This record gives sequence, structure tokens and C-alpha cells, in this order.
Amino acid sequence: MINIILNEWKMLVRNRVFIYLTIFFVLSLSLVVWMGINQNSAQQEYRNKAQRHVRTQWDNLEAMNPHRAAHYGSYAFKPNNLLNSMDGGINDITGNVIQLEGHVQNEIVYSEASQSLSISKFGKLKSSLLLQYVIPLFLIFLAYGSISNEKETQRLKLLIFQGIPMTRLVFAKSLSIWIYGLSLLLATVIIQSMLISSDPEVFRRLTLLVFSYGSYYYIITSLATYFSARLKNNTSALSAILATWILWTIFLPKIWGNAVEKIHPLPSRMAFKAAMKEERSKGIDGHNPSDKRREKLKNKYLTEYKVDSLQQLPINFDGIVMQEDEDYGNLVWDKHFGSNYTILQKQKGLYQVSGLLNPFASLQSASMGFCGTDMIHHLDFLKKAEDYRRVLIKALNDKHAYGGSKTGDWGWTVDSTFFRSVQGFSYKSPKINDQINHYLIDILFLLWWGLLVTFMIKLNTNKKIIL
Amino acid sequence: MISVQNITKSFKNLKAIKSLTLEIDEGEIYGLLGSNGAGKSTTINILLGFLKPDSGNASIKGIDTSSNYHEARKYIGYIPENVNLYPYLTGLENLDYFCKLTGKNYGHNKLEEFLNKCGLDNDSHHRRTETYSKGMRQKVGIAIALAKEAKVYLLDEPASGLDPLASNELSGLLRHLSSQGAAILMASHDIFRVRETCNRIGIINNGELVKEMDTSEVSTKELENIYIEYMQN
Repeated sequence: MINIILNEWKMLVRNRVFIYLTIFFVLSLSLVVWMGINQNSAQQEYRNKAQRHVRTQWDNLEAMNPHRAAHYGSYAFKPNNLLNSMDGGINDITGNVIQLEGHVQNEIVYSEASQSLSISKFGKLKSSLLLQYVIPLFLIFLAYGSISNEKETQRLKLLIFQGIPMTRLVFAKSLSIWIYGLSLLLATVIIQSMLISSDPEVFRRLTLLVFSYGSYYYIITSLATYFSARLKNNTSALSAILATWILWTIFLPKIWGNAVEKIHPLPSRMAFKAAMKEERSKGIDGHNPSDKRREKLKNKYLTEYKVDSLQQLPINFDGIVMQEDEDYGNLVWDKHFGSNYTILQKQKGLYQVSGLLNPFASLQSASMGFCGTDMIHHLDFLKKAEDYRRVLIKALNDKHAYGGSKTGDWGWTVDSTFFRSVQGFSYKSPKINDQINHYLIDILFLLWWGLLVTFMIKLNTNKKIIL
Repeated sequence: MISVQNITKSFKNLKAIKSLTLEIDEGEIYGLLGSNGAGKSTTINILLGFLKPDSGNASIKGIDTSSNYHEARKYIGYIPENVNLYPYLTGLENLDYFCKLTGKNYGHNKLEEFLNKCGLDNDSHHRRTETYSKGMRQKVGIAIALAKEAKVYLLDEPASGLDPLASNELSGLLRHLSSQGAAILMASHDIFRVRETCNRIGIINNGELVKEMDTSEVSTKELENIYIEYMQN
């Protein structure tokens, strides 16, 4: 086996075109990784600066009523995962800034795609683009003729005659090309890890990426070599593997993606907002004193403090009402957003099932997940931002209620000492160990495909194909 | 050494071999003469174990080539019409590679010795085979079989496309191998080359062995007449 692999490598190394192409790939990958990391750092620096600026503004707020400060609000900037430079995932099309304020859960805005025509049309040039599309295509071109060339030149008989079982020959040829793909992948990962931090979390994620891409390259090279062995000539082998590649990378993702959206449809933005508004209107409104639930709450507090009127309360009832309204709003949000979250998870789960037929879908899902740029990671950010919003608004409402003012005293103010005491927003991307369960199915399907092509070669490449 | 007993082989409706029987002993060069499609290559493919006969059996050194082809192949050196070597390797590297596939790891000198034995001049050993002529590639092909320590040589149209000098060298090489005890089956439609090289000749037509003779019994002209007669019949 090792002799065949070495011979294949000798063939590649002695081919000038191959050498030039390899240099081109290594340079392209290095450049793309370097550009990606620089872009990522610049973006991150910009967002950190913006986050610091927002915090400085918050810390230096003039003395004001806490509820006014709740309307002033704050902003959460979605940090880039370190591996965003490899695979941007959905980051380019989702927003990256969310305004956090009282009464309302705002949408995340300012996606990069919305600000750049070229990104919205073509996506960004990241190493994942090369690793997912260009390199597999190159591996296909290296592998499709590996056995059919031997057949067409009648060298296959000589090889078999030297006592090499056909299956071993196919595996050796396939492995030699796979090792080449793996080398390009490892070069990318090594450059990536040299240029970014040596965080063990990044190392874990990179290891999983190597496994996923390595598996996919094994599948694609083995299948190309299998077609090369089974089909009559080079043309048939190339046509078959290219058709499979096109099906996997272009047609199936679109067809399956559309089917998933039909099977688990998300409500439209209009419908979502209308349903939220409808349910929220059933709650109490802090600005509307005629609300029935407000009356009920008022009676509860009057009884509790044993007083006859709101003015006699030692606390500011307006703060209580606003927090109560906030809590109710949160329930409504949790219900509707939770339902959307479930649908999104179902959509992702169903999309991942397509890995049974399409290993490229598993690779894409795993790549985005391990780079921390998929829907799961995005939803985690949204949840943490919303959690922070709730903490922030509760702190402001509690201050309004219990800070020393009386009901109806909207002119009461707190100074910046209080605002500084409220913790700022900080977000850390979830650890991959805690999220790995979302990607087990992708790993399993990649393994399943790896085994499938191995068995196909083992069972279907026998002496009959030699003549 | 090479034994073909009453084999038949059909491809769909076409009977490629009809009750063919051949015996080739050690030190013998047997020329299987026939036109294109006569059944020469099918016979060789059966002996190589790539095809299974419908009936009868073929064996090398008593080893059945259908049921035990892995074992039988250990003794066979096969030289196809076109020995296609790896063009990016030198003659020596090609020989080294094919030897390693059989598990034989010869030293540099030994490999050169094999190539020299087959008449490939020293200057060519380290040249890439993309610059080789057909005859030179044939010689490397024979060196591969020689290095395999083959006892049986199966040659499918080995002289086709060779210039007279290269053909002559090939004949000499095969005679040398047979003098060392090898059994050689050479399928060809080159009457002159078969007459020059072989000890015994068989004429195959439509899958049937129609005539067998010793080379010493016929001149080239007589052989040509016999061949034409059978082909016309």
C-alpha cells in the first residue's frame, strides 16, 4: 500500500502543473486565512470600541429618572468568534447589534450583507469557501482518472499481476489523494492557529474541523476513485463524480432547504409582531392607569403596606407596575420567541438529516457549528442579550420602585453612581463541549458516508473490472 | 508447465473459445498464431485468471488459474502488447516499483542487472520512460517479469509495432529465457516472428486450435501458406 501511495506522490511531485497549483492553493489559503483573521480582528476591535463607547456613555449619564434611562437603554454588540475568519456561517446575513431597552425586545440589526452589495450576492471570501468547494473539486480532478487511466493504458493488468489486490490498489490511490487534501487542510489549520490565540477552546474546535473536513475529503476522493475503478473510461468517471458533486453542493441543499421551510414554516415578521402585540395588550401597561390588572396590583400593594392610597406607599408603585409589565412582556416574548426558537431548531435538525443523502450538508453544518457561526450560536447570543436586557431593566425598575421616590414622582432622578453600579453586557461564545450534541448527527453522517464508500470499494472493485 | 484442457468460453452469443487444449513444457516457446478476434487474448486472459472458462480448465504449474489465480500468478510474467510504464519514472524506478509491489526489494545493482539482461543499455536506465521507444518499454516489461522470477511467460502480441532490430532482440531474449527453463506462450499474428522465435506453433481460428506443428517442420513460407489456408477456410 505504502509503495503505491509513494508512487502516486512521485507522480504528483514530478508534475509541474501540480506543483504550481499546490503553491497557488497554499498561497491562496494563507492569504485568505490572513485576510480573514485581520478582518475579524478589525471588526472585533470596532465592536469592542463601540461596546466600550456605549458603556462610557452609560457610565456618564446625567442624573435622570431610572425609567428614562430604561428608554435610553444600551446596546449589545455580537462578538466574532475567533474562527469566524475561517467560516463566517450565517454571521454575514444576521445582524450584529441589538438595542436593549425597556418594554420592547428589539431585533438584531446591521448585518454585513445589508451594508455590502458584494457580500449579499457572493458571500465573503473565507477559507471555508476554498476548503468546501475548490479543494474538493481539485481532489476530484486528481482522483477521477486514477484507476481508469491505468485501465486505459492496460497498466492495470500489470499492477494486478504483481499480486496487488484490486481493492488495495483503489484504496491506496484514494488515500494518496486524500493525504494531499489533508495536507492542504492541515496547512490552513496550522496557519490559522499560528495567527490566532492558543486558546484550548479554539484548538478543540479546530480539531473537530479537521475531523469533519478530513472525513469529507475521504468521502469525495474515495468516491471519485471508486467511479474511476467501476466505470469504463475517464469521461464516464469524471461525469459521474461531477454530477454527484453538483447534486451535493448545489441542488440538494436548495431543494432540501426549501422543503424544510415548508415542513416547519416560521411565522412572518408581521404575523410574529401582530401576535406579540395582541398578547401583550392583554397585559398591564405601565403608562395606562385604567388597566384592570394594574388595579389588582395596586390593591395588592395597598393591602400589603396597609395604606389607603398610592401616595401613602413608602415605595414608588410606578416602578412595580413597570416591572410587572416587563415580566408579563417577557412571558409573551418567551412564548413567541420560544416557539420560533423551536421551529428554527426543528428546521436545523431536519436539514441535518439530509446528511444521510448528502455529506456536504453535514460538512457545512459541522463547519459553521465548530467555527461558532451557525444558528445555534447566534440564538445563544440573542438569548444572552435578552437575559442581560431583563437584568438591566429590572435593576432600573427596582431602583425606580425602591430607590426612595414616591408614586407619580417622575421627576425623581438618580445620578451616574447608580448607573455605573449596573453591570455591563459581556458575552462569551458557548464552549463546544456544551454544544457538541447539536453536531453529533453531522459527525455520524460523515462517518456513515466514510464507511459506505469504504464498503462500496471493498465489495464492488474486483477483478471483473480489470478487463 | 502451461496446461489448457478442453476450455470453452462464450461472450453472450459469441463462442470465443471452443474446446481448446494446449500443453507447453519447460524450455518451450509456443507461438499461438491467429487473426484478430481468433481467441488468442481470451486464452491468455483465462491463463492470467482474469476470465473464467465456461468449461474445461487452465493451469500453471498445476495450479488452476480460475480458482487459485493468486497463487498461479506468482509464477507468471505477463508482457502485454503495449508495456505502458509510468512515464514520470525512469526505467530503473519503474522496475523497482513493480518489484516492490511483489514484495521484492532489490538493490540498485541487482535492478541494473535485470535491465542489462533484457538488453536495455546502461544510459537508458536513468532516463524517464516517457522518452523510451516501444522496444525499450518491452525490455523493461520483460525485466519486470524476470525480476519476479517468473517460470511462465505470457506474451500478447509482443512484437507488434517493434522495428526489425527490436523484434530480433526480443526473439533472442525469449530464447534465452526458454534456455533457462521458462515456458513461454506468445500470442501473435506475426508469422515471421513466431517462426523465428518459437519451438512450436498452434494456429487458432474462431476459437478453435486448427493446427499444431513444430517450427523445425516448416519454413516461413510454408507456415504462411498453411496459415492463409486455415484463415480462408
